Amino acid sequence: MKKWHWILLGVITLITLFSEFVLLADYPKKHWWSYIPAFYILWGFVGCVAIIYISKWLGKLFIQRKEDYYDAD
Amino acid sequence: MPINMMIIPAYYMIFGALILPLLPQKIRSGSFLLFPLLALITIWSFPIDHVIKINFLNYELILGEFNRLNRIFGTIFSIIAIIGGVYSYHLKEKGQQSAALLYAGGALGVTFAGDYFTLFVFWELMAVASTYLIWARRTKESANAGMRYLIVHLFGGSLLLAGIILNIYSTGSIIITSLTPDGSISSWLILVGVALNTAIPPLHAWLADAYPKATVTGAVFLSAFTTKSAVLILIKIFAGWEVLIFFGVMMALYGVVYAVLANDIREILAYHIISQVGYMVAGVGIGTEMAINGTTAHAFSHILYKALLFMGAGVVLHTTGRSKLTELGGIAKKQPVTLWLYMIGAFSISGFPLFNGFISKSMVVSAAGEAHFDTAMLLLLLASVGTFLHTGLKLPYFTWWSKSKEEIEPTKPPVNMHVGMLLAAILCTLFGVYPTLLYDYLPFTVNYEPYTIYHLTESIQILTFTFIAFWLLRKKLEGEPTLALDTDWFYRRPARLIQKVFVDSLETVFNYTEKLALSLSKEIIRVSRNPLILFDKSESDRDYDPDLHRATTHLLLMLIILSFAVFFLFSIII
Repeated sequence: MKKWHWILLGVITLITLFSEFVLLADYPKKHWWSYIPAFYILWGFVGCVAIIYISKWLGKLFIQRKEDYYDAD
Repeated sequence: MPINMMIIPAYYMIFGALILPLLPQKIRSGSFLLFPLLALITIWSFPIDHVIKINFLNYELILGEFNRLNRIFGTIFSIIAIIGGVYSYHLKEKGQQSAALLYAGGALGVTFAGDYFTLFVFWELMAVASTYLIWARRTKESANAGMRYLIVHLFGGSLLLAGIILNIYSTGSIIITSLTPDGSISSWLILVGVALNTAIPPLHAWLADAYPKATVTGAVFLSAFTTKSAVLILIKIFAGWEVLIFFGVMMALYGVVYAVLANDIREILAYHIISQVGYMVAGVGIGTEMAINGTTAHAFSHILYKALLFMGAGVVLHTTGRSKLTELGGIAKKQPVTLWLYMIGAFSISGFPLFNGFISKSMVVSAAGEAHFDTAMLLLLLASVGTFLHTGLKLPYFTWWSKSKEEIEPTKPPVNMHVGMLLAAILCTLFGVYPTLLYDYLPFTVNYEPYTIYHLTESIQILTFTFIAFWLLRKKLEGEPTLALDTDWFYRRPARLIQKVFVDSLETVFNYTEKLALSLSKEIIRVSRNPLILFDKSESDRDYDPDLHRATTHLLLMLIILSFAVFFLFSIII
């Protein structure tokens, strides 16, 4: 990732925040999470981290086996 | 009624499958495209609510029922058969081409079937024809996986049949109608039979097991027909069964977890079929008009982008001979066309604005929200994080961009492979940009606008921060040369024990008995040749010879002469 990639991501984020807090300031709050500011940013980030860590943990716990596990069948 | 109004679209495909092997090779691939095209024209030439019926025994079979729901599914099945035909244009193997057409014919037959009997016949046709697309890879792995796939589907088919028979027995009708969740065994048997083809966990393992082992072109057809035709049947019979919301959300996340662990690129895509079909199953469970529209639209979009993704992965496999993340990397500059066409599929499945996933997935998610299934809605949004993470980031990053351990020189793929991908990519974008092209033909009137500021903001925030989290943790996602245990363990591992008890041990008993019988008969033969061996050991090396044991003739003569002499002397003396 080059520097300008990060800047681009920052600009995109700022635009969405502007949209969320200015353009959508009066948008009806339909769900409980609608009251949490920048919820979808959190959900995207935390969700992604959680998916990676929980899946890897489950994998180590009992899912992953050597590639030749079934070969004797 | 004119005769052409009596021919269901599936027949064109099946006729094609039969006629194709007889055609010269030069025109075979071209002719392949003709049959799905004819089917497509037929579907659109029938007026809505046109019904094709025939009488069979005491029942009236509804071979074709042309409503809005069936038409949209039939349309996408035909389109994807055409695109798949272009992608596999270079194939010289008639078996695969025929099987693909037969498979597509089965899917169309299921789509338009109005009665259980017709449904079941085409259902089984799909199972058999699709198995060939796995076997045609001709490796030991695919032979075994194909056999497991076939057995599992025949098992599912028999559950479906059992349910159908019970249902006919209790209702007296073979017409497919929606069932209410009344707890009857017949309904549940039908549901389990259909759920197996829908790949609802724990009945899903056949998909992730078999699809990665199918042929390059076969996997494209496989990704389209089986699960989506099952979704259509779910809509017809089980709309509004709330248990499906749970299973739908569960499978959307299940596929995501396994896609983290998968190392084979087509296995990642296979697990994401399960994940995406989860949205559709949840939509069926919600059962509102908006949810059914969303499910239908998502099935339509999914078939296009998933075929595109499988085509991309297929090109990688075809040109490098590799399909594992641990063996790939560093080929972005060597195959930019494949990469960017694949990325259009990836943007679509991830729900990027302007691509078709955005306009269909969001409809299901919003339907969950509208129907106040908040948790389901939130978890479906989480699953979409996983979708972008794997299909849009992990897979392309480790396949094309990351450094490979060794230099890989991909060969040049046949042009038709890229043309097939291009067609799918154009459609993915077209429906993303002009959603009304799809919305106008959904089963119910659509009152949904995907391009709202709220929805755009939500999607862009989620996607941006999924990307950032991926970039920071990308090292964690590197492929590992491992195998992920799934529910197929339950029939693959005990298979050893079953083999031991029912095959190996039986074989041992049979062998022993055979040996025993042979040696016994040998012994009887030996004894019959010379029964004296029972009493005299010295007899054992020769057959019975009567002369050896007969009193000699001269002794007899001597005795007679002696008797005469004795009588003679006796008579003289007296």
